[in-house]
Amino acid sequence: MEIVDWIVMGGTLSFIVLYGIWKTRNVNSVRSYLMGDKDLPWWTIGLSIMATQASAITFLSTPGQAYEEGMQFAQFYFGLPIAMVLLAIFVLPIYYKLNIYTAYEYLESRFDLRTRSLTAVLFLLHRGLAAGITIYAPAIILSSILGWPLRSTVFLIGFLVIFYTVAGGTKAVSVTQKQQMIIILSGMIVAGVILVLQFPEGVRFSDAVGVAGKMGKLKVVDFSFNLNNRYTFWSGMLGGTFLFLSYFGADQSQVQRYLSGKSLTESRLGLLFNGILKVPMQFLVLFVGILVFIFFQFQKPPVHFNQANLDKVEGTVYESGLQALDAEYDVVFNQRQEVITGMIGAIRNDDEAAIGNAQNQLTGLNEQEKKIRQEVDELILTVDPDAKTKDTDYVFLTFVMNYLPVGLVGLLLAVIFSAAMSSTSSELNALATTTVIDIYRRSAVKDKTDKHYLNASRGFTILWGGIALFFALTADLFENLIQAVNIIGSLFYGAILGVFVVAFFMKKVKGRAVFFATLITEAIILGLFYLDHLKIIKLAYLWLNPIGCGLVMLFGFILYRLGVDKGKEPHGA
Amino acid sequence: MNEPEPLDAQEDRPPIFKTWNQMYLFVLVLHALIISLFYLFTQAYS
Repeated sequence: MEIVDWIVMGGTLSFIVLYGIWKTRNVNSVRSYLMGDKDLPWWTIGLSIMATQASAITFLSTPGQAYEEGMQFAQFYFGLPIAMVLLAIFVLPIYYKLNIYTAYEYLESRFDLRTRSLTAVLFLLHRGLAAGITIYAPAIILSSILGWPLRSTVFLIGFLVIFYTVAGGTKAVSVTQKQQMIIILSGMIVAGVILVLQFPEGVRFSDAVGVAGKMGKLKVVDFSFNLNNRYTFWSGMLGGTFLFLSYFGADQSQVQRYLSGKSLTESRLGLLFNGILKVPMQFLVLFVGILVFIFFQFQKPPVHFNQANLDKVEGTVYESGLQALDAEYDVVFNQRQEVITGMIGAIRNDDEAAIGNAQNQLTGLNEQEKKIRQEVDELILTVDPDAKTKDTDYVFLTFVMNYLPVGLVGLLLAVIFSAAMSSTSSELNALATTTVIDIYRRSAVKDKTDKHYLNASRGFTILWGGIALFFALTADLFENLIQAVNIIGSLFYGAILGVFVVAFFMKKVKGRAVFFATLITEAIILGLFYLDHLKIIKLAYLWLNPIGCGLVMLFGFILYRLGVDKGKEPHGA
Repeated sequence: MNEPEPLDAQEDRPPIFKTWNQMYLFVLVLHALIISLFYLFTQAYS
């Protein structure tokens, strides 16, 4: 990395952090620290919501996912606009009417303290885990670039994020997220433009996209109904809607963002702004991944994208084996380039027979390439049995580091760090808020001064930062980072959403019934996930959201009918 | 600890549209349009 890149990255990040700290220098009350000054306009709320959701994981994993599997992941977000509309209609007015700090406060007024506490604890569990992963993702970048040990890098990033969040609180999160989103979107657009400009001479944009399409990378919408297929129109519309209803309606890291709006109208518009922009934004990020895929059809990609893994093999007795595989990979790449060049001509001439022939040849070459890459993985595992050979998350980073012009490398790294900072700070802030408001102040240490709770909020931010660091140090990269976050979310989101759905729409069901319904549901969800993990059943994780929600509603209703709530006084919502 | 002050929960009209229902419909129709474009994109390049 050149000195100019360090200056661009360091300057951009320093400006954002210092601006945030300067803007929040007068934060001296719990309300200001946890709620901001409730003066945000709709577009700031919208950007803040987007910045919270778009973590560094989004910009590392998503392009890699498009590179590997195509654009089907876009369907994951199809339920989001529907969720935004439902929240704007049913949830926001109630939150505003009750004038609450956290979403879980509402559950006490509707059910009881026990249900509020249980739901808050479920939130703390999964968000605490997710916060660890959002720190882990940028740590991979730095450790790969600088050759630092991963654990030391996790510690360094974690401490920086904790410092920034502790200093500024909610207001710092909000005021910095505007700049962060502007940098993120600009950086991704610039990366896309540079990719197109680096296509070989004579290869038009339409040619390149045509090739990607013929190689099966541009299938965005899949209407097949298959419970085992992770991303389809139906899993996105049904499972995704449930997931996002829960995430935006009951996850404090998001609720806190739109509750700092200056009015109900501004908060509603902020949610709808997110509903309109999120799906196109994800399409853009995925399409950048496709452009990287196209770029590496003409520029030989490394045989394995995680250079640190290749470095492990160098200098060992297996190095000659790696070189032989790399030479084989060269041959396959050259053959593939010839076939792709022929395919471009066939697409221009609309020659279906030639296109089909090229597709068949590419299928065979892809198989050969896959076999070589698997053999490289095996070599890496022979040298280091604990190595993680899945390299999807390194694809975009490899392009950024090796092919972007000087200065833009720093900008793109600033994009990834901005994304990490924005989502992690929101998470830590929300974790601290829920701990202080729903547990500490409500049940543990009551009737203390404002200064006491302000200090407690800062203390819990540090504590949750420490816990997130612990998970970041121990989390396995078991599949793909972004999927890991979503899988963790799906284990808890369904049940949490179920509690809120019962609260909003099943007025007769009371606290005791919903409390036990939630416990039973969570046990079943974890059991289903474990059975899927053991391959006894096949169930894509997105379906855990509607199942969890449905089970809480079902068991809540059954327990209500069995008279579990008998004798309980009804509470108004 | 200071309790939060009551917020103004008065429902204003949304910008551009006359009612919130029209605004919600706009968002959902736009979403349907985006999915349709994605479908056409999929068909065009499959």
